[in-house]
Amino acid sequence: MADSNFTVMVVEDEDLLLEAIGKKLQQVQMFPILCRSGKEAVDYLSAHEQVPNAVWLDYYLKDTDGLALMTLLKQNPKWENIPVVVVSNSASTLKVNNMLALGAKKYLLKAEYRLEDIVDIIRQLNETK
Amino acid sequence: MDILVLGMVFFILLALVIGVIISRVSKSSKLEEELREEKELTHAIVASMGEGVLVLDTDYDIKLINPQAEKLLETTAKEAVGQKWAEFVKAYVGDQEITFDKRSSVKTLASGEIKITSIGDDHYYFTRSGRKFPIVAITAPLKREGKVVGVVKVFRDATHEKEIDRMKTDFISLASHQLRTPLSAIKWFTELLLDPAAGTLTMEQQGYAAKIAVSTDRMVSLVNSLLNISRIESGRIMIDPKPTDLLELVESVISELKRKMDTKGHKFIINTIDKLAPIPVDPKLIGHVYANLIDNAIKYTQDRGDISVFISKKNDEIISQISDSGFGIPVNEQQKLFQRFFRASNAIKHVTEGSGLGLYLVKAIVESSGGKIWFKSEEGKGSTFWFSLPIAGMQPKKGEVSLDS
Repeated sequence: MADSNFTVMVVEDEDLLLEAIGKKLQQVQMFPILCRSGKEAVDYLSAHEQVPNAVWLDYYLKDTDGLALMTLLKQNPKWENIPVVVVSNSASTLKVNNMLALGAKKYLLKAEYRLEDIVDIIRQLNETK
Repeated sequence: MDILVLGMVFFILLALVIGVIISRVSKSSKLEEELREEKELTHAIVASMGEGVLVLDTDYDIKLINPQAEKLLETTAKEAVGQKWAEFVKAYVGDQEITFDKRSSVKTLASGEIKITSIGDDHYYFTRSGRKFPIVAITAPLKREGKVVGVVKVFRDATHEKEIDRMKTDFISLASHQLRTPLSAIKWFTELLLDPAAGTLTMEQQGYAAKIAVSTDRMVSLVNSLLNISRIESGRIMIDPKPTDLLELVESVISELKRKMDTKGHKFIINTIDKLAPIPVDPKLIGHVYANLIDNAIKYTQDRGDISVFISKKNDEIISQISDSGFGIPVNEQQKLFQRFFRASNAIKHVTEGSGLGLYLVKAIVESSGGKIWFKSEEGKGSTFWFSLPIAGMQPKKGEVSLDS
């Protein structure tokens, strides 16, 4: 599938994981925007007119968390419709319910999924949008 | 002369009678003294025990309370004796009050069985000044001539144990979550390595990388098991009962295990004796119990074996039976089966992977659902596991976490 115009913003503060995700997205012809913190993500979104097709969001970030970032996205009419997939180390019922209530499309447990599986989920989200 | 003899005989007789009476009296006063001493000793033992002791009669009225129980419950014997125990001191599981018929004393009196309340049961007493403290307790029937005439309860304040238990659980939880980050990195880079897009590996290299992938997944599931155990043990797990058709639940579990079962060519039968009405259980928790027991049956049975699930009703319980024609469990290892990290010696030979945590978790789930689990097994013939669930179902419980999260 040639998705060269398909951009995925990845917000993940673990460098190694960010690198692996970026490589995978490039391999499947998606365009990754790699952000190491919540601030980098917001700065990028604010500076660019074009919004990404999807956000791959880690829940625990060094400067913020998924809940705060998600709330921020939902408050901005330009960003509120970007589909968000949370990929986290911890999926307590409370966190999952909160994120889904805020409009996250999926909440995935990091170590349970292969990169390929997560990419497929993001692709399907875009098709059903 | 005759009178003299008669007088002497009379005197001797009198002396004998007096002697007998005196000895009787001294014997009975000795008995009384022994009795008193014994009573005092019993009283002293009960009074100096570091645990709280309560004796209730068959109406659940407090008959006896020792000083430690007075102290813990912030009361006096004068105030407490004669009071209804269940009203006098409220008991809680977590933050939920225990209803009268679920109180240990009521259960013990009805069943005549000893009930042990351990730290994992998450029991609390609520004193009238508003102090809530965790307890561990043993509630035993007080028997006289084979008849239950009351209840003896020995309990203590478990605040310290609770704290240590919480620290242990927090540590396991934190460590396991931390492990997931490097595990994800290993998993994802192995995936990239095996992807031809990163360049071609030799067959041998591919084989090695595939083994890394398999081992990583094993580690991931081990971390999940540890987390599940820490959740169950901490009592923080939420219980969300929904009316559940157990047969349907087993079928949904089977659909995930079907591939595994087909690969080994097992024959699978599922049956129920009568139409079972849905019972309120947490499908996630009980689904985990079925999945684990059936998965064990698949793993520990040689190819083309027989596996069956049978669900029946007995009195006020639903009994689920999971049988296999597998390797069985050696008799001398059977008592260790539900221990953490235990794996049977023959199981290890046949299936190298496995954490020894599955049955431990299953037992914890069943018991926290008000049920029991037991088994029969013969080496070389197979194993049958049974677990019971109360027909009334599980009590809902608010919690922060659920299984596999």
